[in-house]
Amino acid sequence: MRRADAKVLVVGLGGLGCPVAWTMALSGVGVLGLCDDDDVQLTNLHRQILYGAGDVGVSKIEAASRALRAMAPSVELRPHATRLVPEGAVELVSGYDIVIEGTDNFATKFLTADACALARVPVVHGSAVRWVGTALAVGMRGRPCYRCIFEDLPTGGSLGCAEAGVMGPMVGVVAAAQADLALGLVDGRDVAGQLVTFDGRTGDLRRRTVAARAGCPLCGSQTIHNIDAARYSSPTGAY
Amino acid sequence: MNTIIRIPTPLRALTSGADEVTVAGATVGDAIDELDRKHPGIRERLLDDKGIRRFVNVYVGDEDVRFLDGLRTALKAGDEISIIPAIAGG
Repeated sequence: MRRADAKVLVVGLGGLGCPVAWTMALSGVGVLGLCDDDDVQLTNLHRQILYGAGDVGVSKIEAASRALRAMAPSVELRPHATRLVPEGAVELVSGYDIVIEGTDNFATKFLTADACALARVPVVHGSAVRWVGTALAVGMRGRPCYRCIFEDLPTGGSLGCAEAGVMGPMVGVVAAAQADLALGLVDGRDVAGQLVTFDGRTGDLRRRTVAARAGCPLCGSQTIHNIDAARYSSPTGAY
Repeated sequence: MNTIIRIPTPLRALTSGADEVTVAGATVGDAIDELDRKHPGIRERLLDDKGIRRFVNVYVGDEDVRFLDGLRTALKAGDEISIIPAIAGG
């Protein structure tokens, strides 16, 4: 599709979402949706590059919209001042051609994956914790998908940036990979199924194409055919 | 035959900070067992009673061992094992 016709939704305006939104806005997409319900905190500023010290206490939607409007006035911004929640998730993502997810919790990651699969909307997932980061592109066919690789919410625990921290430069690298994958989907490049991993300690960046899992409940056997809120409430601890 | 296992950041607390560990083993399962002998406790972070934990991915080179022969995947000289856990942060 033409970039000017593309409607892109960024879910999560944190360390990944800020540079992703920045890149997409300046890459000429037509519509940029922004989804987040947090306010800017002082501890965000080292990696969340759309915000400055004067934005502390302001909603991220408001601060990000102001920054993006100043740098890319031709982009139509669509703010969604909410967390992505099960109720209405499919409807929200259905309004877009591509979703880019950079949230900080597994519940929202799996919810985004499921909602996009049900709505048949391509999605690019991203995560960064400490010195490790991943980005995955899921194409229009929805296969392979996030659940092909990570199956379900960890029950024995996970590691998120709130507990473990994230190095500021890490999110820049992972967000760049996400933006590249997203623009690849917009431009029609064959990036579906590509998994990018980055080790910030060694500088090792690897891009591999993953395979679909035969028994995947989302894109394989398709036992997930609706959004059930209970599916996104698994406890998490420390991986 | 030696194989290098690349250790992701979240597990390096168990390897004294090492980002890679050289082990001996004919299969991926052997290699993980050897890794656990050198760094006790890491096996249970990777495996449960059904095999590889569902939020962990183990690659030999660029191949996910789930699509090879799982823990019985044979290793050959020069192979490198990568561990990619699910992470949530941004």
